[in-house]
Amino acid sequence: MEHWKSEEERNSQARPEQLPPEGGELSGGKPRKDSSGGRELYMNVRVLVTMMAVFVMVFTFVARIIVVSGPSMESTLWGGDLILVWGLGYTPRQGDIVVLTQENYQEDSIVKRVIATEGQRVDIDYSANAVRVDGELLEEDYIKEQMFVPSYGEGINHVTVPEGCLFVMGDNRNQSADSRYPDIGIVDTRCVIGRGLAVMFPFEHWKRL
Amino acid sequence: MKDNISERARWLMCAGVPALAAAALRRWQLASAFEPPLGLSVPGAQASVILVCVLLMAAAALAILAMSKYSGPEEECCRWDLVFLGTGDWAYPILEVLAAFLALAAAPFLLKTGWDQWQAYQIAQAKLAQGIDVQVPSNNGMLAIATAAGAAASFLGLLQLGRDGLRPGKRGRGGFSAALPGVAGCVWLMESFRAHAANPVLWDYAPLLLSIVCGMLFYMDFAGISAGAPRPCRLLWLAGMTFILSAAALVSAVENGWADTLLLLSQMLAAAGVLWRLPPSLENPPKTKAKPRPRSFGEESIQEETRYE
Repeated sequence: MEHWKSEEERNSQARPEQLPPEGGELSGGKPRKDSSGGRELYMNVRVLVTMMAVFVMVFTFVARIIVVSGPSMESTLWGGDLILVWGLGYTPRQGDIVVLTQENYQEDSIVKRVIATEGQRVDIDYSANAVRVDGELLEEDYIKEQMFVPSYGEGINHVTVPEGCLFVMGDNRNQSADSRYPDIGIVDTRCVIGRGLAVMFPFEHWKRL
Repeated sequence: MKDNISERARWLMCAGVPALAAAALRRWQLASAFEPPLGLSVPGAQASVILVCVLLMAAAALAILAMSKYSGPEEECCRWDLVFLGTGDWAYPILEVLAAFLALAAAPFLLKTGWDQWQAYQIAQAKLAQGIDVQVPSNNGMLAIATAAGAAASFLGLLQLGRDGLRPGKRGRGGFSAALPGVAGCVWLMESFRAHAANPVLWDYAPLLLSIVCGMLFYMDFAGISAGAPRPCRLLWLAGMTFILSAAALVSAVENGWADTLLLLSQMLAAAGVLWRLPPSLENPPKTKAKPRPRSFGEESIQEETRYE
């Protein structure tokens, strides 16, 4: 009893910073070394690992950030732009900028604009610099310059888009491999990864798409 | 002893049966839910729907089972780390050591993949410098090489876990080694995501990513046991889900190469080890004899005796 009393006295005289921290765990009658680096390190690592898991899950199922490569979407998007792409529950609509992968063309994804969706008729007239969808002339203030007949010929320029498919083109019509190009052609909707929402970086290019 | 066996059997059943079901459903899905020639997924395919249902039901069942068994009082007196130290049971250390060597075996395959990607990237860059129009691969192989290093680190961590499973119960810090495969899992996750980032078919890689995420969190909770932050209930649930998701991911990983297969098998065995060792202690965790008492700063620690209730 004397021993405990004297120990209590000793403890009561201890400086506050020498006592176990509030919420510190006691284990086996001994305070765990909560102030030691081990637990702190573990907690920090756990936060980092959890954040990594959350980020990758969000990038996989909800939205992701993609780097634009090549000139095909100039002057809406420039090479090196980072764009935020929304994938969760997205259904492509006419006029949207989409990221898609056409594996029979290349393994990496490409960025294009949806010109027509299933059931719509697309007619491209190079001489008049005109794209008609269901007979109506598209007002395309986003294209970079007047389009010319591509090097591979007129390609697919009069077509009705089949069910579950999309007709896509780049905004830089003269430097874009898109649905006109036979190797890409009409794109299955399921090839779409998501819709471009905004340019995130560089900041001077920031805009909603 | 009988109670221990029935408790273990129950948990292994609860994880093993859904794992087998998930693997069988994944095989069915691969055979029926993708359209040739591009392999695009068939919307609303039966196999996919049933697989999702089975995974959700398994997750719910494991959560209910874990919570119903875990009483959770007297947290401060519990020594969860002792559960994984040597008690004359060979199954756990053997599983962990096997898991360690499987992780190590994945390293050469990852290294070769990374090296090949690196060389292809360098060749493309050289051609580009010469003015030849060539598409530079977006993956330069560094992540695969880093994953190989992570696999080697996982080997060390898991081996330490196995060794601790053979030693008598001193203050456990072996569990802290589980943080190594947890951190290595981050690199593996990034590498896997990078490899499939342009793939529009989520079902091609979602099971793999989910199993890696589950494995990472499982390892981190495992490490928490020895770092003064035990969450036994969640650890058990994560071990079960790691086992189940890895089994589903394994079916497609086998077709894609050895590296993912070996790493998935490794985390499956590590999870099985926890499913074997932890459940009997869930209701009656090992506690210390001594009553908690304040200890003055700088007082020397003593090795306490332990008892199982």
